[in-house]
Order: sequence, then C-alpha cells, then structure tokens
Amino acid sequence: MKKETVLIQDTETAVKVQNSRIAAVRKKDIAKKAVRVYDKDLIGIGGAMGDIGWNTLEKSAVEDLESGIPYPHGIEGGLRDHRDYRRKSFTDEGLQMAMEKILGTLNEKFPALRFSEGLKQKETLHRMENTDGLDLEYRDAHTELFLLVKEKEGANLFDNMIVYYGRDFDVDGFLDHADRFLTAHLEKASLPEGEKVPVFFLMNDSLLGFLNRALNGEAYATGSSLLSGKLDAKIFNERITIEQNRDPEIAFTPFFDTEGVVKPCDKVELVKDGKLMNVFTDKQTASEYDLAHTGAASGGHDDVPSLSGAPLRFVPDAKNIANSLNGEPAILVSVTSGGEFTADGNYGAPVQCAYLFDGKRLLGRLPEFSIKSSLFDMLGKDYIGTFETDILPYTDKPLLQGFRMEIIR
Amino acid sequence: MISFPKHLYTDVRIEEIVDTRIRFKRKKLREQKTRRNKGAFIRVFDGERWYYGAVTDLGKLQSHVDELAAMATPVEGIEEHPVVKALEANERKEIRFEKDSVTKIPLEKKRGLLEEVLAFADDEAIVNTDAFYVDNRTMKKFFSSKGADLTFDKETTGIGITLDIAHGENKDRMSTSKAKSRFKDLKDAKGYFAEEIEKDVDFVKRAMPVEGGEHPVLFSPLATGVFTHESFGHKSEADFMIGDETMKREWSIGKEIGPEILSIVDDGGVEGSGLTPFDEEGTAAKKTHLIKEGRLAGRLHSALTSASLQEEPTGNARAVDFTFEPIVRMTTTYIEKGETPLQEIIQSMDKGYLVDTIKHGSGMSTFTIAPARAYRIENGEIKEPVKISVVTGSVFETLAHVEKLSSEFELLSFVGGGCGKMEQFPLPVGFGGPYTLVSKLKVQ
Repeated sequence: MKKETVLIQDTETAVKVQNSRIAAVRKKDIAKKAVRVYDKDLIGIGGAMGDIGWNTLEKSAVEDLESGIPYPHGIEGGLRDHRDYRRKSFTDEGLQMAMEKILGTLNEKFPALRFSEGLKQKETLHRMENTDGLDLEYRDAHTELFLLVKEKEGANLFDNMIVYYGRDFDVDGFLDHADRFLTAHLEKASLPEGEKVPVFFLMNDSLLGFLNRALNGEAYATGSSLLSGKLDAKIFNERITIEQNRDPEIAFTPFFDTEGVVKPCDKVELVKDGKLMNVFTDKQTASEYDLAHTGAASGGHDDVPSLSGAPLRFVPDAKNIANSLNGEPAILVSVTSGGEFTADGNYGAPVQCAYLFDGKRLLGRLPEFSIKSSLFDMLGKDYIGTFETDILPYTDKPLLQGFRMEIIR
Repeated sequence: MISFPKHLYTDVRIEEIVDTRIRFKRKKLREQKTRRNKGAFIRVFDGERWYYGAVTDLGKLQSHVDELAAMATPVEGIEEHPVVKALEANERKEIRFEKDSVTKIPLEKKRGLLEEVLAFADDEAIVNTDAFYVDNRTMKKFFSSKGADLTFDKETTGIGITLDIAHGENKDRMSTSKAKSRFKDLKDAKGYFAEEIEKDVDFVKRAMPVEGGEHPVLFSPLATGVFTHESFGHKSEADFMIGDETMKREWSIGKEIGPEILSIVDDGGVEGSGLTPFDEEGTAAKKTHLIKEGRLAGRLHSALTSASLQEEPTGNARAVDFTFEPIVRMTTTYIEKGETPLQEIIQSMDKGYLVDTIKHGSGMSTFTIAPARAYRIENGEIKEPVKISVVTGSVFETLAHVEKLSSEFELLSFVGGGCGKMEQFPLPVGFGGPYTLVSKLKVQ
C-alpha cells in the first residue's frame, strides 16, 4: 500500500472597511489535512480541517478503500521541490496602518466617494509527500486590496472597484494609481462613435471561463467542446498563445497539481501562435482518451483528484497600446458583471463601469452600455492584443487585453 | 465553558459538520466520502471595532478569545451600546432533523438514488455526465456574553447533474440540481430529473439563435427567484445603507417601486437551502415583507444595521461557514403568487421569450440573467428553443415593468452553487415564486 499526505495551512489577517472607516479586524488560522492511500488500483482518502492526527486520517483512508474508488494510475515520486515565494509581508499592525493611510488619503481627496471592503495579508503553505519519494512544498504570502467605490449621491449599491493582488504592495504607489483612477471616475465622458470600437479588459473572466470549458480535455474528447476535432488546427489569431500556467509568480497557485504533477517551467502551451496544440488533462482523462497529460488535476484537499478547470494565461504579444490604437478612442472596462457566452460562442454582457481610454490615460467615465461579440471574432479578426501594462497595477505583472466589439448603447 | 472578557461583547459560534459527497463521472463512481469537520468563529466588540477569529483547533478556544480581547479596548457599559442592545439573547435547543437525519441513511441508499437519477441520462446525444449526491448536517452552538445559549441543527440533501450534450453542430453543457431538507423528499423528486434531462436534450438539439432587442420576458418560478434575488433582493440588504443618506432616501419605506400585484418576502423559517432558524448572531428567523403591494415595506438586517437604521433585526446576519463573519444576506426570497393562470399569461403574449432555467445571475445597477433554457413565444404559444446569452435590465426600473404574476407558485432549493457577496460564496439560499411577466427587458 502506498501513502500520500496533503497539508494546507492558511493564515490571514484582514482589515475590514465599512462606510470609509475600519470596522473590523479578522484573523484566520485554518489547517486542512488529508491522507491518501493507494492499493490494488483503488484510492482511499481521509481528510479533515483542524488539528487531527495523521494516524486517525490514515485509518479513515484505509477504511475508505472499501468504497471501491478506482485509481489505476501510478503516483508521482522521486522529486523534492521546495519553493518559497514569500517576499514583503505586513504585520497585523502594519496592515491596519496601511489601511488607515489609504482611507485617510482617499477620504480627503475624494469626499464625494465612499469606500468599503478592505485589505488582507494572506500566507499559505501547501505540502504533498508520499511513500514514493515525492516531497513538494509551496509557501507564499500576498496582499489583497479590494475596495468598493460608491458615489455618495448615487443610488447604486456600488459604482466601481479598485483591486490589488500581489506580493509587492506599495501603499504610496497604490495611492498614485487610485488618484488617477478615481479622478477619471468623477469625470464624465461620452462613448466613442461607431458600432464597433476597441474595448480593453483586465482579462475577461467570462472569456477565461468559456476557454476553460472549450480547452477541457474531457469535453474535447467527448465531442462537446466547441473546439472538438481541432487539435493541430489554426483556431485563433496567429498572435495568440494560451498556456496552462502554474508558475506561482504569476498564477498565485502551487506549482503542482492535486496529483503532485510538476511540469517543466510550470507551464504547458495549449494554443501556440493561434494553433491548438493541447487540451488540458489530468491522469484519468489523458489515459482514457489518449491525450497528452498536462498536469491539470484539481479538487479540494480531501477530494479524489479530477479534471475541472486549469489556470489559463494569455501570453503577452504586444507592448504599446497607444500605438495599436493609432489615435482611435477606446474603452477600458472596469466592471462588467453577468456576461455570458452561448454554447456556440456568442457573447453578450452589460458593462457597469468603463472609461474612455487613449491607450495611456483614463479620460473619463462612460455611461453604462452593453457589449456583443463572439469567441472567434474576439480571438480572430477583432483581436487587438494582450499587453503588459502599468496603466492599471491591479497585480505585480498586470495584463490588458483588447478586442474590437459591438457596442449597444 | 468560555470565560467572556469583561467590558466587551463577545460571541462564539461552533459548527460541527458532517457531510457526504458521492460523485459519478461518465456513470463511473469517482468519489464517495463522509467527512466530519469542526470549527469556530469568535467575535469581540468594543463599541468601535469588531475583532474576529476563525479557528479549527477548538481545544484552544479560550486563548483565541483572550487574544482577540487583547486587541480590543474594554468599555464599561458596552451592554448599552445600540448594536449590543439590538442583539437577541435567545436560550434554546432546537433540534429538528435528528429523527430522520441524513447521517442515518446508509451510503448505499444515497448512491443508489444517484444511480437511479443517472439512468435517466440515456439519450445518445448525452456524451458525458458528471453527477453528484451531497448532504450536510450542521450542528451549531452559539454563546454570547449577553447570555445567548443556542443549539440547533440544519440539514440539506441534494443531487446535481451536468450533461454534455452534442447533436451535430449543436453542443452545450446543461446542469440541473435539486435540494431538500430530508432524504425521503429528495427520493420523491426523481421524476423532476427525468423531465429536466429530457427538456435539456431537446433544447440543445433544436435551439436557434435569438433575435436580440427589447422584448417582454416571462420568467419561470426558478427564473423569477433569480430575478427577484438579483434585481431587488441585494438592494434590500441594509449594510449598503449604513451612513448613506442617499440610499436611505432612495429606498425609504413606503416608496412605490412596483405594481400593486407585487409583494416580495424573505423568510428564514422556510425549510430548504435558505433555512436559518437563528442567524449567525443568534437572532431568530423572521418573515420580512420587503415589498408589499408594490411599496417598499422592509429590509434585511443584522444587529449592526438594525441599530444604525433604527429598525428591528430580521435574522439575516449569515456567513458561508465558520471561517467568515456574518454579513447581511438573504435566506429564502420570493415573489408572492398572483391570480392569473399561466396559460392565460402565455395566451396574452404576442411576442416575447420564456426563460425556463438559468446558468447564473448577477445584480448591480444593471442586473443580468444568463438563461440556460429559453423559448420564443409568439401569438400566445410557446415556440422553438432559443440561445440567449443574457437578459438584462435596470434594477431601478424593472420591477415597475412586472405586468402579470401566475397563480402557479413554487419555492426551490439547489445544491452546487449559491449566492455570492464580496468574499463570501457560495451561501445556500432558497428562492422562487410564480411565473412572472416583465413587459420589457433587453435580450442578447
């Protein structure tokens, strides 16, 4: 019988803001543990939250073998890889002082606005070890700022949001960015003329969600993906490269999947120069459908590893947004909530908050509107590019992505 | 026994959770487990700030309480603070599910029920299935320095099934789920899955592109529930109004915001996903009319918001689990039933769409509903299925466009999702209502 242990330890301090003042401080200390045992092509798992002994969990895992859950795949082994991505970290007091400074400055500069939510400092440890010599450890710490912005004279629940998620949070740098962002928020602008205009996103969640479905190996193999049958075919604009990317520097996730698989450089190219190279898979999907194994198993600490989604990332393919616009006015979307793709790839979404944008500066806030396009237009003829940018420093290495889209006023 | 620190308000919520998860992928067993977890959430209040702690090592509860208390500033007379005064101090043991608890049902029976439901997925167009059975028993204990001493339970049991359907060039992923408070009621709901699977397959095989624009939209009870939740429910959560004079003016009690036929209720006492016998502050469940006959009649409160707005607490301070603090959330929210038979409503429509099931919804200034199954209506008849990406409307205007409510009415509960608010997702909620005709919404 082979044995594998999983430990996840999360600690967090959060400073919670309500009505532009600190209302609460929250501390978390949550441990999650699991033991997996493998015997005769079966897997048994015992898991719990809290300080439960490993022996107790192992006993549960052995009992769980009776459930008869098949796992006919070998386990990983012979690899020790310990990585620590922790850099800057706020103390509890430092975090409160940072939030006080941010609120003090924003309240003074923007008396017409109200702020809520807050600032967090999180630290995480993921460890996976097994009897075949696998010994993986990932440690990380990051700061997360999430402020909802509401106009005091407005009747919306909130009107905009400012976010940061990363390891190098700098209060003064953030305040400079917030100043530009909120000044533009209070400036009214008109939608650019024309039915189809350049629209930029801080990576569109609906698009990544839809691609997660289309590039899922199981959906691909069973014929239910929009991309089924198109491996090795050109599917998107030739500038587009999409990776399954587990590099913690970028993805803020462990560099190994829930089966303990580590890929070279922590990434696998799924789409390269517009051509479909791979779909993402776990061990089961790769073996069942004879697909390349990409190490995309997911699931909770005490779940049987399985395939659901993968951390996808567009590789930046352009640098200068203003040059790509060539003087044409554009839109930068700050808040779009509720958009969706139909099964055949048509996309529609309301845009609750957006800016007029010249590629360098935010020129004012636009009235609400809707956008319309399709997957193959967005990633085909209407694709403008994926840009590394410091215009909106919402993380340490932010990306902006642009498409020409139909505007419904 | 917790020793509460002096001159501070303190409460402790302890949760003991037993849950089961059984999962089949492509009709093969992939997971079958029962887990037991324990954790606690501690709150300390000094009149200025709250200090929260989420912990899993219950043996050290007292030291966690003391650690949080050390961060606070003790205030003599804290019990006279308006927020503390608004907190209820109920002492009760209310165990309603022990007799036929899901923990007493053998795993084989749960697995057998899931296999029976999966057997309905036999159409050749179904190329992949992912089905799960889940149940959850949560025992909660709540103690406060004000004297609250509560022990109560909550149970949910449910099945969810996701189908990948491919028929020629028509492909889609369809999901359906149902939750009940008791296993025997879930067993009785098998027929629901058979009907839903059949409708999903038919939809994918025949769905046509939609003609976008502004149209009348008829919502099913399920879609009505999401519409109510997203278009209005979040607006009724009073934490958005603290210290906000504009919001208080805009949402003043008595204001007319819909037609006279429209009444909206939130009720934490309804069994199902939204059941909240006591909220996470120990306040007992209440039935709250948010809109009565078209006029704003109430809103949802925690102790903090009720003290701030000088209204009665409603038992709506909820948290997704023991790792989060309570914030104002809905429980089971619904539109009360109308008087017009569904058939009569359909016959009255020249053109429009029926939204039958949904993928998701969201609500800001513009609310959206992403339909899963939708149908065109013409000359009083339901026609072919249509693919709609989103239906959108303004939360400020749409309720005024509610035109008809059916006499048919249904409350629903689900597993595998829930309501999201800021960092807390997914919170189980219940919703539903009658079939609801809205005279104009944007369809894309």
